[in-house]
Formats: sequence, structure tokens, C-alpha cells
Amino acid sequence: MMMIVVIGITLCLPSAGILLIENAGQISKNIEHEAEISIFLEKNISKDQVDFINLNLKKNSLIKKIHFEPKLIAWEKLQSKLDIGVNASVSTNPLPDAFFISLNTLDEIKIKKLINKLDGIDGIENIIVDGNWIKKLRIALSLGKLSVIFLAVLLIIVLLVVIGNTIRLQTLTYRDEIEVSKLIGATNAFIQRPFMYTGILYGLGGGIITISILKLSVFGLNTALVKLVSIFGTDIVFKDLSPKYYLYIVVLAMLIGLISSYISARNSIKRLKIYK
Amino acid sequence: MIVFKNVCKSYPGSPEILQNINLEILPGELVFVTGPSGAGKTTLLKLISALEKPSSGSIVFESQDLSQIKDKDIPILRRRFGMIFQDHKLLYDRDCFKNVALPLKINNMTKADTYRRVRAALDKVDLLQKERIMPITLSGGEQQRLAIARAIVSRPSILIADEPTANLDKEYAEEIMNIFYSFQQVGVTVIISTHELPSTKINFKRLQLNGGAIQNLISYDQLP
Repeated sequence: MMMIVVIGITLCLPSAGILLIENAGQISKNIEHEAEISIFLEKNISKDQVDFINLNLKKNSLIKKIHFEPKLIAWEKLQSKLDIGVNASVSTNPLPDAFFISLNTLDEIKIKKLINKLDGIDGIENIIVDGNWIKKLRIALSLGKLSVIFLAVLLIIVLLVVIGNTIRLQTLTYRDEIEVSKLIGATNAFIQRPFMYTGILYGLGGGIITISILKLSVFGLNTALVKLVSIFGTDIVFKDLSPKYYLYIVVLAMLIGLISSYISARNSIKRLKIYK
Repeated sequence: MIVFKNVCKSYPGSPEILQNINLEILPGELVFVTGPSGAGKTTLLKLISALEKPSSGSIVFESQDLSQIKDKDIPILRRRFGMIFQDHKLLYDRDCFKNVALPLKINNMTKADTYRRVRAALDKVDLLQKERIMPITLSGGEQQRLAIARAIVSRPSILIADEPTANLDKEYAEEIMNIFYSFQQVGVTVIISTHELPSTKINFKRLQLNGGAIQNLISYDQLP
């Protein structure tokens, strides 16, 4: 039983890592689609020039969505947001007309080319790409994935050793039975079989414990998030891993149990000297 | 038939345990391997049952050279022998029935056949009424009988017993020997290592070892 709990908790660590990364990845994916480039126009731009820029943007296949915000509306928004008498200190509208565009790509080279192209159009004063932090998030996520893989590999090695040692101790406990079985004609494979079943069962039990812990954690987190939702009015939900992942966890755990018990039992049984 | 040809056995750094053994054991023979402690009796039995390989020479069992046998073939070979040990080598965590059933389990025998054969073997050694009893509760003689039942359950052609009566008093020892004789009479080859020869008038061969060599090999009718 202790062995099963150890496997369950050990596998929980990388699995929880995958759960976190999957959720973070989901957030970044949603954000990626809303990535924007802000194009600020010159202050005294004519309406024809604005239309020309708009036409150019519409023609570009990389651009998914175009939103034009006239300087007057931007000014009104700013005033209402700040909720102070901005008029008192600023006599004229300091804001320019602007286009906010969403792209259907995150390809850095394509984005650079687009910016260069836009930069050459008369009437455009400044272009700001809002994608840098997404790039950083993506790098952080891939680093996180690497760390989880590294951690998983280490913990799998630990499990292989721990299960292997438990099986080795079991072969010592059943030494008499192994010896008698060998003496009356049992093959090593026959003797090994029950130990391998034990290893697989350890894995299965451990996998079920891992799933239970993860499911409980997701449920607990989402219960806590419901309270946050009611306070902040957002719709954040901590997504559970797909059944496919849970199947992988159980299969992996059983495989670890099988491999380590196979190696350990095989070596112990081979080394056991009979009828000395 | 088992044939030893110039068989020697030694371990690194120690003197030869068996020296130049030449021997023929015919099917259905009862052979007593006698000699003082350290004479090489157990080593000889180990060589026959492929628990050890000879350092030189050859041991041929039914046209199979045991000195050349591959590891993977040894379990199959051992299933053709019934082995009985001085310390019984019973499993004390299971009842008599399960102890006797173990060789049949290894042979993948059906439950019905196992049940039939185990009960027949237990009956043969007069332990049928104790089939569900744990071996630890049996007397020394009964434990050895149980070990014999386990050895005969898969109907081997050869029974090998290493000092089967060494820990038993005279009455039990005779009982055990009588069981062996009964098997020899139905055509089973029986090889027994022992310190003492039986007093019963039966047909047997005596192989006397001393210091790892055959001191003499004589039949019952040649005994003084």
C-alpha cells in the first residue's frame, strides 16, 4: 500500500506541472489570437490619407481585424477613464487617430515585414507591436515544459529504483518458494511472472492515486475560483486534463511498474543460488 | 539411462570434489550412493539433476549431454526428475495439497487433473487425510512423505533423494525407504544418497564414494 501511495504522489508532481502548463498554454493561445498592432497616425492627417491607409490594411492578408479609432473618440474615452478635469490642464486633444489591427500570424519575420511595409506609408507616425510579452510568455512556457520533462524523467528514474528495490526485497521474502520452484523445474520467466504482476498493480494503483489527487486539486481550485469570479466578474476556470492524459498517466505508471519489476526480479532470481 | 564418463568436479581454489567418475545407472535401478561426509554424494546428485555442471567429462541422460546443456533447457530437464531433500524444502505458508500441486502448476496442468493427481500422490504416501493441513504441523517423517508426494506427483522417471532419512528416527526412516522401494518396483529409477544401507532384502546397487572417487560399485547380491 505504501508503495502505491509513493508512486501516486511521485507521479503527481510532473502531472501537476503538465496541468499547470496546459492551463497556461490555453491562456496564451487565447491571447495570441487577440494580439494587436497599434498604428498611430500623424496629427494633421487628411481623411483621404486615412482612407488610403485603411485600404492598404484591408488588402493585407496577414491582417485579420481592423479597428479605426478617431482621435476625438479616443480623447473622450481617456477623459471618462481618468474621470478628472483633463480639460482644465490640456486645452487641445493630444491624441492622434489610430488603427488597431489583429494579425492572424505570430511569425516574427512576417510581422517585421508587415511593419516595414506599413512604416513606408505616408501619414503613419508610430507603430507599436503588442506581441512581445506573449513571446516572453511562450518562452517561459516552453522552459516550463522542459523543466516538467526533466522533473518527470528524474522522478521516473526514482520510481524505477524504488519499485525495483521493493520487488528485490519481495524476492528475498519469497526466497524459499523461488528455490523450491527452481528445483522442481520452474523457468525464470514463470517465477518472475507474479513479481511483474505486482509491479503492474503497483503502477495501476499509483496511477489511480495520481488521478484522484489531480481531480481533487482541480475541483478544489475551481471551487476557490468561483468565489473570485463572483468578486471580479471574470470567467476564469481551471481546466482539467483531458481523459487522454489520464490514460497516459496510468499507462506510464503501469509501464514503470512493469519495467522495474522485470529488471529487478530477473536479476534477483538469476543471482539466487539454489540448493547450496 | 544415466552414463557418467570420466567426470570430474572441482571449484576454483579447492581440491577436486569428484575424480574420474565412470558410472552407468540403468532404468528402474535402485542406487544407493554411500560414503562419509565430504565424499561427494551430494555433488554427484547435483550433477545428475543439472544443479551443477562437471568440470570435465560428460554425463549423458537419455542421449542428452548434461555437461553441454543450455541454461534455458535445465528447467525442462528437472521436470523429468523427482527430487527429495534432507530438509524437505516444503513451503510452510501453504497447505499440503498446495505443496504437492506446485510441480503441476509449473507444468500448466488443468485444475481437474491437478486435483486428481495431487490426491493420488498424497494417498500413495498415506497423507490424503491431511491434504488441507499446514506442513509445519506434520511430524518429520510426514513432512518427508509430503516431499516425496511432491516429487512423484508429476510422474517422473527418476527419483533423486539426498539423504532423505538423515533427520528421521529408525521407524520413520524405514517407512520412507519402503515408499522408495515401491516406486522402484513399478519401474522408476531411484537414486538415494545415504550414510546407511537398508536392511531390507531388495535388489539395489551400491555406489560407495570416498574422497570424491568411487571406492566400489556393487550389486546387492555381491554384498557380503
